[in-house]
Amino acid sequence: MVPTPQRRPGKSSSPLGWLLRQRGNWLPPVLGIGGFLVLWQVLFNLGILKLPGPISLFTEERTRSLILDPFFDNGGLDKGLFWQTLASLGRVAQGYLLAAAIGISVGITVGLKQSINRAFDPLFQFLRMVAPLAWVPIALVVFQQNQPAAIFVIFITAVWPILINTAEGVRQIPQDYRNVALVLQMSSRRFFTKVLIPSALPYIFTGLRISIGLAWLAIIAAEIVMPGTVGIGFFIWDAYQQNYVGEIVLGVIWIGAIGLILDRLMLWIQKRMSSGQ
Amino acid sequence: MTTTTTQPLLRFEDLGKIYPTPTGPYCVLEKINLEVMQGEFVCVIGHSGCGKSTLLNMVSGFSTPSSGQVLLNGAPVVKPGPDRMVVFQGYALLPWMTAYENVHLAIDSVKPKLPEREKREIAMEHLRLVGLEKASEKLITQLSGGMKQRVAIARALAIRPEVLILDEPFGALDAITKEELQVELLQIWNTQKCTVLMITHDIDEALFLADRLVMMTNGPSASIGEVMTIDFPRPRNREDIMEDPKYYELRNTALDFLYNRFAHDDVE
Amino acid sequence: MTTLVDVQNIEKDFPLAGGGNYLALKGIDLEIRQGEFISLIGHSGCGKSTLLNMIAGLDLPTDGVVLLDGESIKRPGPDRMVVFQNYSLLPWLTVRQNVALAVDEVMPDLGRAERDAIIDEHLEMVGLGQAGAKLPAQLSGGMRQRVSIARALSIKPKLLLLDEPFGALDALTRGNLQEKLMQICNEHELTAVMVTHDVDEAVLLSDRIVMLTNGPGSKIGGILEVDIPRPRQRLTVVHHPSYYSLRSEIIYFLNRQKRVKQWQAKTHKVLARHGLEKVNLDLGILPLAACAPLAVAEAKGFFSKHGLDEVHLVRETSWRGVVDGLLDQTLDAAMMPSGMPTWMTAGGHGGDPLPIVTALTLSRNGNEVTLAKRLADQGVTTVEAYRSWLGSHEREPHRIGIVHPASMHNLLLRYWLAANGIDPDKDVHLQTLPPAQMLADLKDGSIDGYCIGEPWNYRAATTGHGVPIVGDLEIWPGHPGKVLGAREDWALAYPNTHIALTKALLEACRYCADPAHWSEMSELLSDRRYLGIKADLIRFSGQPGETGPFAPHGEPHHLFFGAGLNRPSRTEHLWILTQMARWAEIPFPRNYVEILERVCSVSVFSTAARELGLEDVSYQRQGIELFDGRAFNPDDPIGYLNDVKVHRDFSVAEIPLGLPRPLSV
Repeated sequence: MVPTPQRRPGKSSSPLGWLLRQRGNWLPPVLGIGGFLVLWQVLFNLGILKLPGPISLFTEERTRSLILDPFFDNGGLDKGLFWQTLASLGRVAQGYLLAAAIGISVGITVGLKQSINRAFDPLFQFLRMVAPLAWVPIALVVFQQNQPAAIFVIFITAVWPILINTAEGVRQIPQDYRNVALVLQMSSRRFFTKVLIPSALPYIFTGLRISIGLAWLAIIAAEIVMPGTVGIGFFIWDAYQQNYVGEIVLGVIWIGAIGLILDRLMLWIQKRMSSGQ
Repeated sequence: MTTTTTQPLLRFEDLGKIYPTPTGPYCVLEKINLEVMQGEFVCVIGHSGCGKSTLLNMVSGFSTPSSGQVLLNGAPVVKPGPDRMVVFQGYALLPWMTAYENVHLAIDSVKPKLPEREKREIAMEHLRLVGLEKASEKLITQLSGGMKQRVAIARALAIRPEVLILDEPFGALDAITKEELQVELLQIWNTQKCTVLMITHDIDEALFLADRLVMMTNGPSASIGEVMTIDFPRPRNREDIMEDPKYYELRNTALDFLYNRFAHDDVE
Repeated sequence: MTTLVDVQNIEKDFPLAGGGNYLALKGIDLEIRQGEFISLIGHSGCGKSTLLNMIAGLDLPTDGVVLLDGESIKRPGPDRMVVFQNYSLLPWLTVRQNVALAVDEVMPDLGRAERDAIIDEHLEMVGLGQAGAKLPAQLSGGMRQRVSIARALSIKPKLLLLDEPFGALDALTRGNLQEKLMQICNEHELTAVMVTHDVDEAVLLSDRIVMLTNGPGSKIGGILEVDIPRPRQRLTVVHHPSYYSLRSEIIYFLNRQKRVKQWQAKTHKVLARHGLEKVNLDLGILPLAACAPLAVAEAKGFFSKHGLDEVHLVRETSWRGVVDGLLDQTLDAAMMPSGMPTWMTAGGHGGDPLPIVTALTLSRNGNEVTLAKRLADQGVTTVEAYRSWLGSHEREPHRIGIVHPASMHNLLLRYWLAANGIDPDKDVHLQTLPPAQMLADLKDGSIDGYCIGEPWNYRAATTGHGVPIVGDLEIWPGHPGKVLGAREDWALAYPNTHIALTKALLEACRYCADPAHWSEMSELLSDRRYLGIKADLIRFSGQPGETGPFAPHGEPHHLFFGAGLNRPSRTEHLWILTQMARWAEIPFPRNYVEILERVCSVSVFSTAARELGLEDVSYQRQGIELFDGRAFNPDDPIGYLNDVKVHRDFSVAEIPLGLPRPLSV
């Protein structure tokens, strides 16, 4: 066999040297984002784009204070972006965890039993297609309160990818592995922990990763129509009502950034969990 | 028997290949000397790690030798070219195309100036040669493993290479399909008079097909251990070969080479 | 040895997608003894994996039972561990954890330390002591399968089941693993069943090889005992004469399955013309000098002259091909050793007795005994010298090759050895081998010699690998060599065709008997359709003035035609029956008179001879007396059997033949 050439340890160990050698990794995204921002600013300056340019986020007083101090708390809805985000994330966490717990367990049941799958699959596929926003009025009618309704919307949006992927993962367990378990006469508990979960894990994580994005999208939708709540979604809605365009842009950037971080976090957990495969 | 000319078609001169690795240079092949005559069928056998694929890559021009050279018609091989066509074990066909389109694409790339009618004729002729004229409009994904390999062989032959290089072409096929394809390959080789260099793991395959069997020693620094001449009369059939007392001698010699003199442990 | 697994009359069908059932296996009976290694071999789709799965309990038979230690197998269990083709290791566990998974599951009562010791021991056993911390993805295919084997063995199963364990590996890696598995099986006295399609693998590893026929309704087509001593080693086993003979038998079986399938795919019509019931005939031949009459009849147009317009000669590579061809009726008739008609009629082929008729003796003589050059170099050139040489080399195995138990080679060789004080079963071992392999074995030194027809003795002499020691002219000059044989029901269904065939071949025999035609015949037979060897290796007689066993009395070696030479002789066939019973190839038939009456189609011969105007060849030969001067009394064969000095424990039995009836056409 031809030996695979191994990566050599770097010749110089200075951080700068390391950064230089790694430039292939960081330089393109920096250039890409920077270029985008420059283009945006130029388009604004030329008057083609009505949206304020990125520089205005710092020049404008309202947004600059929001950027510089995300932690202020003046009571009521007047809070720093950090608190706004935290409140949204709290709701997402509750709804998402609920979705994960129910999605995975129902998914496993559906994946193991073909008959249950046949019974419920059309229903799942139907419910999955309902947009998060459409659930809001229903949730409000059912729960009468903002908080549980928002959590429900998160849950109902996030549960489907988890459920469907988990079921698929369980169905995809190779017959070989099942045979091994059969021949060893494994107890179902051990089959569950030793074969089923590890084997379905990549699928489950794919579901979880898709869902975290959806949950985050849903929270914005939910909060926009739930006035009087602290949260990044309502923050944007509020800014729009009062025509603070800079705040809207800032809020959108926050949302995107948080979404990106959540996704990367899931990816990292997934990689750690499945490092063996 | 094959027609031989005085000048070898393919010639390896002191061929060697060294890969740089973190722990220093790793010599895969060393001092390979071999002459392949026009129209000859040569099989190369050896354990995994003996550098068969490296050898093949240097003939096809995918990689360059570290020392020595490969000469085709007296000229050194420096890059891949249609005069040396490779058939891979994994077929390497484009799955979204039909069998015909795969063959046609190859002809189109090599001889773009040919009139379309001729391209079509050549493609169909070669599909016919491998018995796939009826399946020519089928997508690659609709074909069985054996049929895919037939398409790959047709594609390779359609561009009229001087050397047909086969890299374990039948390794992934079941026993019966494999035997059928071996028979077809021999028939094609016989009618097309092409020169074949084939890598195999299967002694019986080599005994059935080849004029000469090149047996490689183990790596690192693998080289040619022995070249065995297989002079069963042609055209061959499997049963006749097994009736020839020489079959047992040759087979035992090859077994002895691979399992005794150059035995190889697969545990790293 | 005790029976571990007992497969009793298994049947298995699978529901088909489009409705109906597919019958995969039918009537499978197999006993697997403790400590035995069994291979199941057959073409893909023959149900070999299904059978293995039923032993594993992963699948249940539709009918019949599989017993393990007397108990019916209903579900899988760790006492029958399976090694799958694609390893089925859990990729998220390390090598060690994969093995531990099984050990922990099956041996929960043991302490951690004990279990660890078992895991280590088994990883060590497969040569992976160093790789315990690696993940399967980091290993080569061969190493992964080693882990799988370690896992299977670590839980000490009663039975190891292997489903094409090396199928996914290249041929050379496979070799290493086979040796490893063999070594482990030997050391631990494992009982194992392996599904494979690799012939060499089956012969190398197995004690018995079970060959399955093609589906639907696959059956056991034959079981081969592998008599190669253990421990085995790849390079030494190939020099054991059984190796290549078993190998060719399996290859023959697999090819036969393929051929039958192709044959069945075509339509087969009976063409009646010229007042003959069937003019399209498939006749079996073997590449021997004695096939000359059939080759000549084809080349010189004797077949068509007698109205047989579409005769096709089917070149078989072994006599087994002829037997099978007659059994499944892919052949109409064939040339066969003179013992074969009575042997098959008496059920010697192992199935139900199949009455075979012979209307013509095609050739006489043509056989010799050749001893290896290495023996001649030590002065062993006579039977006396061989006897004393055997005495002084008792410890080595002494094998002599023959082509078929029902052939005259076998019977004459045995007679000759026994009469010279060598017991053909105790002092030496007679082994059925394919002719080409005999020459290789002779050169190789793994057999002492062989008894066979031409061209194999002359070939050994010309290549210097052997020395002819005695010819049949010195044992029984003029003994029947090859005969024309056909099924009795075939002969009754196509009586006029049978006569026409006999006429064509009798004329061909007359042509062959003329020495003026011999060089032409040698040329003809050298064609690939017949012998496919150089013409100068094919001869029908010794050269004038030549000494040695080819022509000691100046007689021609092959006799094709002449007074009393071609007419089937009941006395000769009785002598053959008696000899086959003497060596316990078949029981001596109590109804031997009936058998001889039905085997020897004297009337067909006489009609043929009369219509050709050759009545004078119909004369009956006199009694039979071989070189030792011992007369054979055809009136008292059992008395003869009791009287000969060397014989096996023979039995006498009635062979139920039923009434003669023609094939239903």
